[in-house]
Amino acid sequence: MDDEYNIGIPSDVLGAGATTAAPTSGGGGFLDLLGGLGSYLMQPDVLLPGVVGGLLTGEAYGRLSDIGRQARTGAEELAAQQMEQTQFRPFTVTTATGAGLGTQVTPEGAIETTMGLSPQEQAMQQQLFGGAGGFFGQAMQPTVNREQAIFERMRAAQRPEEQRQRLATEERMAAQGRLGLSSAAYGGATPELLAQETAINEARNRAILGAMQQAQAEQMQQAALGQQFLGAGYLPQQQLLAATQPAQQLAALQQQAQLQGAGLFGEATMSGLEAQLIAEQARANLLGQTGTGLLQGALTPRTDNSGLAQAISGLGSLLGVGG
Amino acid sequence: MAQQLQSINLVAPAFKGINTEDSPLAQDPSFAEIADNAVIDKRGRIAARKGHSVITTTKTVLGIDSIRAIKEFRDDGGNTKIFSIGNNKIISGTTTLVDETPASYTITADNWKMVNFNDKIYFFQRGYQPLVYDNAGGSVVTLSSVSGAAGVTSTMYGNEVLAAYGRLWTADFNSDKSTIYWCDLLIGHDWSGGTSGSLDVSKVWPDGYDEIVALAAHNGLLIIFGKHSIIAYQGAEAPATMTLADTVAGVGCVDRDTVQYTGTDVLFLSHTGLKSFGRTIQEKSMPISSLSGNITKDIINALQTENTFFRSAYSPEEGFYLLTFVGQDVTYCFDVRGTTENGSYRVTRWVSTGFTSYTRQEDGTLLIGTSEGISEYVGYTDNGSAYRFKYYSPSLTFGDSSRVKILKKLKPTLVGANNATVFMKWAYDFKGTYSTAEFTVGDQITGFYGESEYTTVEFTGGALTNQRSLNATGYGTSIVVGLEADIDGSQLSLQEINVMALIGKLL
Repeated sequence: MDDEYNIGIPSDVLGAGATTAAPTSGGGGFLDLLGGLGSYLMQPDVLLPGVVGGLLTGEAYGRLSDIGRQARTGAEELAAQQMEQTQFRPFTVTTATGAGLGTQVTPEGAIETTMGLSPQEQAMQQQLFGGAGGFFGQAMQPTVNREQAIFERMRAAQRPEEQRQRLATEERMAAQGRLGLSSAAYGGATPELLAQETAINEARNRAILGAMQQAQAEQMQQAALGQQFLGAGYLPQQQLLAATQPAQQLAALQQQAQLQGAGLFGEATMSGLEAQLIAEQARANLLGQTGTGLLQGALTPRTDNSGLAQAISGLGSLLGVGG
Repeated sequence: MAQQLQSINLVAPAFKGINTEDSPLAQDPSFAEIADNAVIDKRGRIAARKGHSVITTTKTVLGIDSIRAIKEFRDDGGNTKIFSIGNNKIISGTTTLVDETPASYTITADNWKMVNFNDKIYFFQRGYQPLVYDNAGGSVVTLSSVSGAAGVTSTMYGNEVLAAYGRLWTADFNSDKSTIYWCDLLIGHDWSGGTSGSLDVSKVWPDGYDEIVALAAHNGLLIIFGKHSIIAYQGAEAPATMTLADTVAGVGCVDRDTVQYTGTDVLFLSHTGLKSFGRTIQEKSMPISSLSGNITKDIINALQTENTFFRSAYSPEEGFYLLTFVGQDVTYCFDVRGTTENGSYRVTRWVSTGFTSYTRQEDGTLLIGTSEGISEYVGYTDNGSAYRFKYYSPSLTFGDSSRVKILKKLKPTLVGANNATVFMKWAYDFKGTYSTAEFTVGDQITGFYGESEYTTVEFTGGALTNQRSLNATGYGTSIVVGLEADIDGSQLSLQEINVMALIGKLL
C-alpha cells in the first residue's frame, strides 16, 4: 500500500506530497539535490507559507495530544467519582426480639458482618446447645448399660406373672403328685416345668432382644433429639438472618439505584468529555488542514504571489489573527 | 328215765377256717379254733396241706442256711433257670445248687428281690449294687459292668424292685425312703439317660410322712406302698407325665415280700392284716375290711414279733395265698376262692414247716425253699417225714350254754388218711386238758379198674371215706372237739364230726 503522506520515510512529513526525484548516480547528485532544495526553500514565496504551515501542523499535532491527555484525565476523574458513588453503604438490622445484624467496611475494603442475639435468645440458645450436647453425649454412650436397665425393667414387669404361673404349676403338680418328679428326658425336670421354663426363657430372650432394640432406638432418639436441639439452637440466628432479608433487599435496591445513578452520571460526564474531545479534535484537524494547505501551497510551484498571500491569509485565519 | 341222746352234726367243720376274733361261745361251728397244717380242699372241707419234696441233692453252697428267696428266670428264647438266695450267695439250680455270686462281690445279707425284665433277671437288695443275669452272658454280673450301664450309683441301690410298664422301678434305699427311680425304657442298666427319672413322693404322702416299702403295678396304676399309706399313680407307662390317681391313708404295707398279684387284685400285708388293694381303694371312704379279719390279732402279734423275713406266695392252682413269718416258722394259708360273711378269706395255719421262701413256676409248680434246699409243694409228707394235722372246734354249747352236756360218742368222717393214726380230742369248759381217743385208719389205698383188679384191693371210687364211732367221757357246759393226725403220705379231709351228747341239768 502506498503511504499517501510518506510517513515513515526518512525525509519526514515535510516531504509529504513531494514527488521523489530519481536518485542520481554518485554522491555528487545527492548534494546537488540538497543544494537545489535549499535554494528553492529559501525563496520568499516558499519560505513563509512553508514555515507557517509547518507551525500550524505542529500546533494541530500538539493539540491532538492535549485532547487525549484531557480525555484520560476526565475519564479518571469520572471513574474516581463513580467509585465513590457506587461504594457499599453499611447498614444494620434489628429484629423485634432484639437480635441485630450489622455491616461495615473494613479499612482494607472488606465487608464485615456482625450478628448479635438478645439475652433471652442467647440464654435459650445456650440451653438448647447444652441439651444438644447432652443428647449427643448420651447417644455416644455404649448401649450395654441401658440394655441391661431396660431388660431389668421388662423382667420386673414379667416376673410377677411368671411367678403366678410357677405357683399355679406348682399347685397343679402338687395336686397331681408330681412335685418330686424328675425325668432325664426333660433335663431332670418334668414336661410342664420344661415347657414353662422354656417359655420363660423365650420371654427372657425376647426381653433381651427388645432391650437391645429399645436401647438402640433410644440411642437414635437421643441423636435425633440432639440434632433437633442443635437445630433449634441455631433458630434465633436463622430468624435473624431471615429478618435481614427485607433489609438486604432494600440495600440491594439502594445499591442498584446507586449504580444506576453512577452510571447515568458517568454517561453524562462521558458525553461532555466526548463532545469536548470531538470539538477539540475538529479544531486540531482544522488547524492541521490549514497547516497542510499552507505547506502544500509553499511546496507547489506557482507563478504569482497570490499563493503566498492566500497562505498567509490562511495561516492568519488558522491562528486567529486577522480576517 | 333215760334221756335221749342229742346229735349235733358238725358238717364240714372248719370249712370257714380259723376264727380267733369272735367269742368262742357265739361262734359258728363252721369255724375252727385251730386248723394247723390244713387247707380248705376243693370241696370246701378242712384237709391236711400237701407236704414238700426236696429236689435238691447237693446243697454244699447253702451250708446250714436256708433258701431265702427263689425265682425262675425266663426269657423269650424259652431259657429258664432257677435262682435262689441263701448263705449270702446267689445260687442257681434245683438239684445241685451252684454259687453264682460274682467274683469279688461280698454279700452279707440275703434279702434279695429278683425280677425278670426284658430277657434278664435282676437282683436288688438295699445297699448292694444290683446284679443281673441273662442267658447270653451266662453268669451273674454287677449292673455297672453291663455295656452301656449308666447311672448305677449307690443312690439307686434299692431294696424294692418292680418290673412294670417297660421299666425297672426301685425304691427303699439306705437313707432315702421317699424316692422312686426308674430306668430307661426297656434298658434295665440305664438309670440316668433316655427316659429314666425319679419321683420324690415325700410331699405326696397323705399323712405327711411315710416310707416306701413296696411297689406294685396293677390296672394301669403304679402302686407305692408306704408303711402306713398307699399312693397310686396313673399313666406310669410314660413316667414323666404320670399323675397321682389315688391315696389311701392309714393302710400301708409291712414288707415288700408280702405283695402278691392274684390277677385281678394285689394282696399285701398291712399292720392290721392282709389287705386287698382293689378293695382298699374301693372302700377307702368306708371302714376297710381285712382279708384276715378272722385272725387279726394273731396276724398283728405275728408281724410285731417277726424279726427275720416275711415271705409270701400265691398259687392259683392251689387257690391259696401263703404268708410266712420266717422267724416264727408260721405260715398262714388264705384260701382265695371265697370269703366268709365278714369279707375275710378262710384261713388255716401251717406251723413248723421250715418253709423260708416260695416261688411259683410257669407250669404252676410251687417251689419252696427250706434249709434242705429247694422243694416242690407236692405229696403228703414233708420230705418223707410225717407232719401233724390239727383241727379244734370252737367251744360248742349246743344252743344252750346253761345246761350240762355229757358227751357220749364222737363220730368223725374222714376222707383219705390211709393208715393214719387219728387222735380225737375233747375238752370241757375252756380247759386245756383234752381227753383223747386214738384210732388208726385202715388201708385206704385206692384200687382202680384195670390196675389193681387182681391184687389185694377191691375197686374203689377214689379217695376212701372212713367213719368211726368213738366213746367219749366227761361233761361240761361247753365242749371243744379236736382231731389230730400225722400226715404221712396220704391226704386227709375232715368231712364231718357227729357229736352225740346228753343234755343235762341247768347249772
